[in-house]
Order: sequence, then structure tokens, then C-alpha cells
Amino acid sequence: MLRRDFLKGLGGIWPALCAGQHGARPGFRLTDVTAQAGIHFVHNSGAFGKKYLPETMGSGCAFFDYDNDGWQDILLVNAMDWPGHKRQRTTLKLYRNNRNGTFTDVTRAAGLDVEMYGLGVAIGDYNNDGFPDLFISCLGQSRLFRNTGKGTFVDVTRTSGLWGFDGFSTSAMWFDYDRDGFLDLFVTNYVRWTQEGDIFCSFDGNSKAYCTPEAYRGATCWLFRNRGDGTFEDVTAKAGVLDTTSKSLGVTLLDFNNDGWPDVFVANDTQPNKLYTNLRNGRFLEQAVRIGLAFSEDGRARAGMGVDAADVDNSGLVSIIVTNFDNEMMGLYRGTRDGQFVDRAPQAGIGQATRHSLGFGCFFFDPDLDGMLDLLIVNGHIDESISRARRNVTHAQPPHLFMNDGKGYFRDVSRLVGEAFAAPKVARGAAYGDFDNDGDLDILITTNNGPAYLYRNDVENGNRSVRIRLVGTRSNRDAVGAVVKFQAGDLSGSRMVKSATGYLSQSEMPITIGLGRREQLDRVEVFWPSGRTEEYKGLRAGERYRIEEGKGLTAGRL
Amino acid sequence: MPPRTPTLIQLLGLLVTLAAVGTFSFFTLRQVEDLRRLGSDIVDRNRRDSLQLIRIQDDVAQLGLALRDMAEGAEPYPLEAYRPQFQRLREDLQNALELEARLMPATRTEAQQKLLETVFARFWSEVDELWQLAAEGKTDAARAMIRTRIEAERATLATLISRLLIQNNEAEAAAVEEIQAIHAKVERNLYVLLVAVLAAITITGSLVIWHDRRMFAQVSHLSEQRKELAGQVIRVQEELFRTLARELHDEFGQVLTAVGMMLLRVERRLPEGAREREDLREVREIANQTLDRVRSMSQMLHPPVLDDYGLERSIEWYIGQYEKQTGMKVHYEKTGVAPWIGDAVAIHMYRILQESLNNVVRHAGVKEAWVRVRYSPEKIEMEVEDHGVGLPEKPQESGLGMIGMRERAELLGGRIEFRRRPGGGTVVFVQAPLRAQGGKG
Repeated sequence: MLRRDFLKGLGGIWPALCAGQHGARPGFRLTDVTAQAGIHFVHNSGAFGKKYLPETMGSGCAFFDYDNDGWQDILLVNAMDWPGHKRQRTTLKLYRNNRNGTFTDVTRAAGLDVEMYGLGVAIGDYNNDGFPDLFISCLGQSRLFRNTGKGTFVDVTRTSGLWGFDGFSTSAMWFDYDRDGFLDLFVTNYVRWTQEGDIFCSFDGNSKAYCTPEAYRGATCWLFRNRGDGTFEDVTAKAGVLDTTSKSLGVTLLDFNNDGWPDVFVANDTQPNKLYTNLRNGRFLEQAVRIGLAFSEDGRARAGMGVDAADVDNSGLVSIIVTNFDNEMMGLYRGTRDGQFVDRAPQAGIGQATRHSLGFGCFFFDPDLDGMLDLLIVNGHIDESISRARRNVTHAQPPHLFMNDGKGYFRDVSRLVGEAFAAPKVARGAAYGDFDNDGDLDILITTNNGPAYLYRNDVENGNRSVRIRLVGTRSNRDAVGAVVKFQAGDLSGSRMVKSATGYLSQSEMPITIGLGRREQLDRVEVFWPSGRTEEYKGLRAGERYRIEEGKGLTAGRL
Repeated sequence: MPPRTPTLIQLLGLLVTLAAVGTFSFFTLRQVEDLRRLGSDIVDRNRRDSLQLIRIQDDVAQLGLALRDMAEGAEPYPLEAYRPQFQRLREDLQNALELEARLMPATRTEAQQKLLETVFARFWSEVDELWQLAAEGKTDAARAMIRTRIEAERATLATLISRLLIQNNEAEAAAVEEIQAIHAKVERNLYVLLVAVLAAITITGSLVIWHDRRMFAQVSHLSEQRKELAGQVIRVQEELFRTLARELHDEFGQVLTAVGMMLLRVERRLPEGAREREDLREVREIANQTLDRVRSMSQMLHPPVLDDYGLERSIEWYIGQYEKQTGMKVHYEKTGVAPWIGDAVAIHMYRILQESLNNVVRHAGVKEAWVRVRYSPEKIEMEVEDHGVGLPEKPQESGLGMIGMRERAELLGGRIEFRRRPGGGTVVFVQAPLRAQGGKG
């Protein structure tokens, strides 16, 4: 090793040692407002002692504006009791934003009080009617609910052609892979599990524990093409996505080769991750091994759970976070100019910090509005008896909130932003959204067989943002896949509009660009999925904007 | 006979030790080389090869699962839909097989490698045929082919790879055994070396100790002899001085006294003012002077005061004489009560004092000296100090006087030190034990 490399290495270690959980306050606080917001949700995994694998996986959550009033509403997915062990009736919950910091449970009124073993959620306006529709991924038959635009939803699973696809469906996302202006649906499946075929797994040889997926055969992901008439066509095979070895839990949208065509990254548990490159002809080519995303740096397939992708260093190159099992470290794959990916988690300060964490939900966002994307990872083990087998691992685990220093290093500030937030949880889903419309991003976290948590973000450092909602006309109405490139003085970067990402969850669709103390966004370029490019100038800090494809910019509303 | 030098023994011991270490190092290096060879060529390579074999095994198992899904019709997709999955696995297998071929351990026979390649080629050829059937819509025939030929080939591949893995494990186990045997050999060599080196050190050491003891005894004996001789020389010298002194005093003294008396008597018989009377008086004067010189010489050779009054008075007497004769000022200090110190000790202390003060007057170039004597029942200590030029920086060979002083101190069973004063000058310090002294002499 050259002396220069050694010194550089030391230079990397020092901030790691100094940073830890100490140092300057990150400039914002997260306050637990769950109860005062009127959210009284408890996840029901259905667990009754048999330790069925699906019990430990759920569930997801979402921030979305179902009634188009400009205020983010909340959806919390729920499972149900197992047949023959019925104790209670549980359904997902839809909470309407009362625009005063509180929410009202409108599940029944919205027609969503339907029992199902729900796991994940993906929200997208698949029929381009201006109202977001709901896809709930389930154990068994997943469901598609069409938003009527009158505050209610209609189950259109059968009529849409999605009926009959039984699986252990986990994360799902909407995206327009063929760029025809209609959102298509990608659904990940975990393993082939049935109640009858459940396998006995154990840490101690006596009592049953939740199995890891090695015990079960993998299951293919599904890709459903939106025909544009409210129905879907299963193009899994036709698009080259069929892979029965996958054990998928997370999916995210990205355009890793910047060709304007959406690619798909799938996080697999104990199997190589998959990167489906869009061949622009309705087909995908799986390339994860070739470009360095399939395995850890030592060549092992890890337990991939959640996943998100973004332009983390504002370089135009995408980085990917994959949450893994404890003792595996999270993977932070950074794109290189030659189209390869390298796991930089250890060098970025994320590797060592996440060694004992079993991560699920994750996403890149900018809670301190400084213009750099930070990273939230929520954790929790799959088995409540894990401490008996491994002393340094607990069932409930604290989250990680990594602040991006803009130089490739992340500092965990979870304990500095709020005690309640930092408390250990058996977390699964996570989403961000500005529910109080104050310009910063609040956080929603779900736990397995436990409550959901809403954390209000209060930025205290004077930083401001510009919030932009893109509305497609030729493109899909949600503008999923649209890329916004921005410049504000010395700050520049790019953000992509996505539907669900992370783990089983969906964050709000409007884009929030942190500006720090800057007064305005000097320039914004929008690259619509239709191929159209638009440019806007002088977007004021603290303002909300709606950009409608081909129609221009409207200030003051999303 | 002069004593034999131990160098030869020591050299022999060194040679034996070096030979033992050299032999051990030679064999150990050879064994370490063997270990390295076994470690890198067999164990490491085997492990890396096994990793690739496991990767291949995993891919073959994945193919098996996919084939099972295809045969069972587990998914509602045409058989051709599995093609990308197969393609991905085929590429991964190809990469793994290339790596594996590079790492192939020495235990792999050419026939085994050939068989592996042939079975894989046959498998993919069957799979290609399968896609052909699938493309032609002959799903049933394709499924039948999976269940019979392709699954059989895949099972053969799985068995073959398992066997190779087992072979690797066995080779690794054998290498580990060999490594353990080498470790045991090195351990044994180490013990042999330890014993050889210990034996060489013990024998050489014992011989050297035995030799040293003999040398020491001889040196000690010689030293005793020399001491005895020196004592006798001094005793003879003192005896001679004493005799000479007595002879001078008694014989020459009496003769000269008689000569003087007779000359006086003759002188008185001569008339006053006679010239002869004056001559006789002059002769008598000469006789008297000669008598004084003889007496003085006698006293210097062996002062009778030493025999009559002991050391303490002799010191005082001598200091007085010394001051008179040399014009030096001597500051004399006495501490403690002096016991009777007879001739055996006194003569040597006296001679040391005499020699020391003579040295002061001869070499110090000063006009003052200090004499301190401390008496105690057990010992006597004496210091003669001057503030003169002092002893030279690099002491030349000791003069006869200093050798004599050392000899006398040793004869007394005491010690003598010649010290340089920090501010210039010399201190002669002598200490001698006082044993029970029975009366004079």
C-alpha cells in the first residue's frame, strides 16, 4: 500500500471515529405525533405461535393524496388472522389529512375495509384520471383498488386482469416501462410458501423460529403491462423478467444508464439481486452480476430487503441502497462512470454502523433541506427470540438516519433528532411525505405486529425547499420516471419521480428539493417519460409548484 | 606445568551449538517450504476451487428447480419464458467453469475434467434441443424430455460436481494431515535442538567453570607465595636495619665515645694555648660529629623509640625529626586512644608514614603536610595528605616505594589507597586491623 493511500485511509477513519452519534445537531427535530394526529393503528400479523414465515414480513405504508386536496394522506397496510385462528377483524387503514395536523380514519367510507393478508402498497394513477389508485400486495391474491375520485375506492382486481395471480407478493411499484403513457405494474414475490407446506425451523432445535428463505423455493416477479383500457396483461415471460429462483422483497425504479428508459432493481433475499435493464423494446436484460449489483463485495448473495436508488452525490450517477440481514452490513452501491457499481458502504460510514442491524425500509430523502440526499434505514429482527441465540442482536432495533456530508461520508444522527424516533422498534415499512405542508419531509414508520409511528419534522436551521409536483399529459399522469435536474447557485443535482420504493411502502410523489439558505432554484429541467424536455427558471424557496407537461408552471399549489 | 587454555573447549562448544542450530535451521526451512507448498498449492487452491464448484453446484441446483417448474407447469408461462433465466445461469456457469478450470487442483485427472466438459456440453445441447421443441410448440415432448434426458444429464452433472467437491475435501484433508505431520516433525526437531544446545552449553560451561576454578586456585596459591616472600624480604630488611642500627649505635658509638674521651684526656694534659691542644680539640670535635651522625643514621634505620615506646610516640618523634630535617610543616592530628601497638604492626605503619612523607617532600612541591591517625580497639587508620601536584592523571608504573607500602599493608592484613584530592594533592590512606598484641614486640 502506498503511504498516500494509507494516509487517505486514516483520513477516512478519523471522521468516522469523531462523528459517531456525536457532533453538531443536524438542524431538524423529529417529534412523535402519532397519537395527537389521531393515528391509532396496530399491525396484526396473525401470529398465533406457529411462526408462519409471512407473519414477520409486514407491513408497508404510504403517503399519498387520495382526494387531491394538496394534503398528504396516510395508508397503513395490514394483515389478518389466519384461517381457523380468528380473533379479530383487521384491515388496512386510510387516514384522511384534516389539514390541521390531525387525521381521520376514512377506511370504511372509502370502501377499503377489506380483509386481506396485506403486505405492501404501491400507488399510481393507472387510468390517468387524476386520482391515485391503490395496489395492495398480499399473501395470496393481491388487490387493485381504483380511486373513484369521490373519496372511495373500488376493487377492480378481477376486471383489471390481475385476478388469479396468487403469490407471496411483497413490494410492488408502478412505472411506465414501455413509455406508452400508462403506468405498468411490477410486483415482487418472495418464496413459494403455503400454510400446509410450512417448514419447521429452529435456533435451538426445540422451539420453532421464523425460517430464513433458504427453506423455500423462489418465486418469479411479475410484470403487468397496462393496456390503457383499465386492464393489464401479464408480460412477465414476454419481457424476460421470469426468474423462478428469485426471492424478492424490494424493488425500485432507476435509470442507471441514463438512457431515458426505466430500469428495475430487485433486492433478493439470499439470492443474487437483479437489475433488469430496459432494452427499449418491451424486454429487459438481467445484468446485476455483470455490473456489480448482484452480490456483496466478497461475492456473497446477501439478504436483500428494502432498496432505493437516487442521485445521492448530485453527480448525475445513481447510487443504490440495499438493506440486508444483521452481520451483513447494508449495501451502498455507487455508480461509476464506466457503468459499473461498487459497494462503498464501509467507506461511507454505513457499513460498520449497520453491522448489527437487520434493515427493512429505506429511502433517500432530504430531511434537513440542505440539497444533499440523506438516508433513512429502519430496522427490526424477524424473530423475537433472537437475543437468546445471539446476544448482540435484539428483536427491536433503533433506526439509522444517515446525514450525507456531500463528500461521500454519512453520519448517523438518529439519536440526535428525537428520543422517540431513536427508540428501538421492530420496524418494517417506511415512507416520507410533507403531511403538514411546511416544506419539510415527515416520516411514517410501520412495525411488525405493532403500532405505526408518525414523526413530524421541524427544520430548525432556517433551510427551505421548493416542492414540485409533476403532472403528465402525454406521459403517465403521475409522471413516474420523470427526472428533474436542478441548479441553485453552486448546488445542482437530479431527482426522479417514483411510485413505491424502499420496502413495501410508498413515499409521496411530489419532489422536494432542499435549497439550504438559497433564495431560489435558478433552473429546473424536466425530462418527461414521453421524451419531452422542459425548462423553468427562478422557482422561489419555500414555494410549491405544479408543473403540467406541456402546459407550464403553476405556483402556490401541488 | 602452565595451565591449559579453555579456548579450545569453548570453541568446540560453540561449534557443536552452531552445528545443531545450522542442522535444525536447514531441516526446518525445508519443512516450512513443504508447508508453504501444501498451503498455497493444495489447501488454498482447493478451497478456491471448491468455492467455484459450490457456485457451479448452486447454479446446477437452480437449473434443477427451474426444470422442475417447467416439467410441472408450475407457472402459467410457456416454456420459452424460462430462456432468460437459463441464459443467465448459463453465463454464470460458463464464468464459474472457466475460473474453476484455472484453479483445478492437481488431484483432478484429465479424464475427470474431460468428463465434466462433455457432460456440460451434452446438457446444454439437450437444453438447446428443448428450446427448439418449445419454439415448435411441442410442449409435451419438451416436458417429457426434461423429465427424462435433461434431468438425467443435470443429475449426472450434480453428482459429478459433488464428487469433485468430495475429492477436493479429501485432498484437503490429506494435505492437512501432511501439514500436521510436518508440524510434529518441526516440533520434534525443536526438542532435539533444545537438547543438543542445552548439552553443548552444559558441557562447555562445566569445563570452563572447572578450568576457572583451577586457575583461581593456582593464582591464589601464587599470590600467597608472593605475599610470604614479600613478607620475608621485608622482615629480613627490617632485621638488617635493626642490626645495623644496633651495631652502629653500640659498636661505632662506643668506639667513638671512647675516642672522644681519650682525646679529651690527652688534650687536658697539654698546656693551655698549645698548638697540639687546639689540634686535638678539632679531632675530638670531628669524632663527636661522627658519633652524632652514626647515632642519627642508627635512629633512621630503626628508631629505638619504636621498640621502647611503641608506634604513637614513634610517629610524634618522626614528625619532629622530619620537620627539623626538611623544614616542612606537618599538621598532626590524632583521634582515639592508642593501644599498645607492638613492633609487628608498628614498624610497617611507621615505614608507610616515612615513605609517604618522603614522597611529599620529594614530589609534592609544597611545604605543608597533614597526618591524621585514628585509633580504635579494632583498627588503626592513618592518612597522609598534601595539597601538592598530586598523582599523575595516567598512573605510571608504581614506584618501588608505593609497591613497598602495598606489601606492608597486605602484610598487616589491611588495605591502602592512594587517592587524588579534588582540589589537588594526594591522600595516602591506610587501614590495618589491630589483633590482640601481647606486650612489646
